[in-house]
Amino acid sequence: MEFRNFSLLVRDTKVHGFADGLERGELLASKCTSCGKVQYPPQSDCPHCFGTEFEWVPVHGVGKLVSFTSVFVTPDHFTPDLSRTAPFSAYGYQPAPVGIVEMEDGLRVMGWVLGLKADSLRVGMRLAPRPEVLPDGRATVVLVKAEG
Amino acid sequence: MGNVAVVGVGQSHFGIRSDASLRELAFEAVKACLEDAHVPLADVQSMVVSVASDELSCALQPSAQVVDYIGFHPRPSFRVEGACASGSMAVRTGWMNIASGLADLVLVVGAEKMTEAPTARATEVLGRAGDFLWEYPFGMTFPGYYALIAQAHMAKYGTTEAQLAAVAVKNHHYGALNPYAHMRKEITLEKAMNSFVVAAPLKLYDCCLISDGAAAILLASEKLAKRISKKPIWIRGLGLGTGSLSLAHREDLTTLGATVEAARQAYEMAGVGPKDIDVAVVHDCFTIAEIVAYEDLGFCPKGEGGRLVEDRETYIGGTIPVNVDGGLKSKGHPIGTTGVSMAVEITKQLRGEADEGRQVPKAEVGLSHNVGGNGQHAVVHVFSQDKE
Repeated sequence: MEFRNFSLLVRDTKVHGFADGLERGELLASKCTSCGKVQYPPQSDCPHCFGTEFEWVPVHGVGKLVSFTSVFVTPDHFTPDLSRTAPFSAYGYQPAPVGIVEMEDGLRVMGWVLGLKADSLRVGMRLAPRPEVLPDGRATVVLVKAEG
Repeated sequence: MGNVAVVGVGQSHFGIRSDASLRELAFEAVKACLEDAHVPLADVQSMVVSVASDELSCALQPSAQVVDYIGFHPRPSFRVEGACASGSMAVRTGWMNIASGLADLVLVVGAEKMTEAPTARATEVLGRAGDFLWEYPFGMTFPGYYALIAQAHMAKYGTTEAQLAAVAVKNHHYGALNPYAHMRKEITLEKAMNSFVVAAPLKLYDCCLISDGAAAILLASEKLAKRISKKPIWIRGLGLGTGSLSLAHREDLTTLGATVEAARQAYEMAGVGPKDIDVAVVHDCFTIAEIVAYEDLGFCPKGEGGRLVEDRETYIGGTIPVNVDGGLKSKGHPIGTTGVSMAVEITKQLRGEADEGRQVPKAEVGLSHNVGGNGQHAVVHVFSQDKE
């Protein structure tokens, strides 16, 4: 499976380990080893203390939905005849909702909302982010209904 | 710092200008501007050009096309870029050029040719102005980003889809009176509400247009301004703020921190507050953006932007007329041009030369607000009839 193809651009960055994490089924954030600041999406360089060393920490737990939308007019990469040219999976969730959740520690994660229709979504509802393998073998981040 | 005034303005017709190239559009605006100022190009010492997109113009240094076509070389020219805020950044750069003493007379030109690219391609290029690495792969587009802002605003403050549509109805009302506007037609609330969904909850009429067009202004030092113009319009306050690339990084999606910061700087420099503004043009790339701008600029308390337009307070005759040129929504949004066109509009309003039916009576102080991306940059300028 081409987990590394979450995005070719991620693969070619200093945080390419994010793609390795997805491959293992882990959603990862970066933690600056100098000041301890945790960031998602991960950054190899810390804008708080200018440190350049970091370690991986898992993003786990449940977040609150901050906002969401469903995009009906899609960009070029997501149109069927050009999706193969996308440097990331353009597999058709469209027009599946996309949302942002805020985790308990304040990290915010964007992802496709899976298994829920847009009209059943409410700001504030509890969703959990997790890696997901798409039918084309590439990985992405999804938000799913929290259990319990 | 020296005082700087707008002494000439001009613009091309906005629209799907398949009849003209980028350089020809720029020429239309420059010619109108220099004729308005009664100044020959030979007297202009320096130029600032705003063309936002190399990708849409399919060329590096598209500004060179403009400089060449109007015959400006070998004098200095400078291009600035900040996506949709490029035009206002060019105005700011022009101001800096004069305030620094480098030049006394500077031409600022904004030009963009967007409609040569298919809509999906333009949507992609614009969408990539956001966080290409971490958010675009979720199919995010500009309407998508502003839809997230809209949804959050609706949830937090009870803003309604009808209030969003009311912005479009107002801006189309005034755009219909603007001979330079892209879409000169009134729309009804029903039509806006029933248009197809682009990115929920934003519908077709919540979104601005993809347009071609150019605008130009001539800036002068105090020394030259009074000699050139009987009604110089002074740039009294300038503000420029920045915000996170990634929308998910914003602690509050219902405000643009870049706008709040830019407004603070501009009001402080001009020594005015929101209540002193007689007429404003704000960045209504989407209807929700205009509502958020009302709040971030201090025209109403936070959360009451939807009601402000619903109560018609942003029409002429209301407490603060906004986008009475049609805004990006109806006048159009050639991205690199928009900020310069905003300066054209405010100058005309403060000179008392706006078109019939859309002149704000006794407008003495005006404000322009221009956003790059979904709040990565915001530029606010305060203009005044008076120098101090």
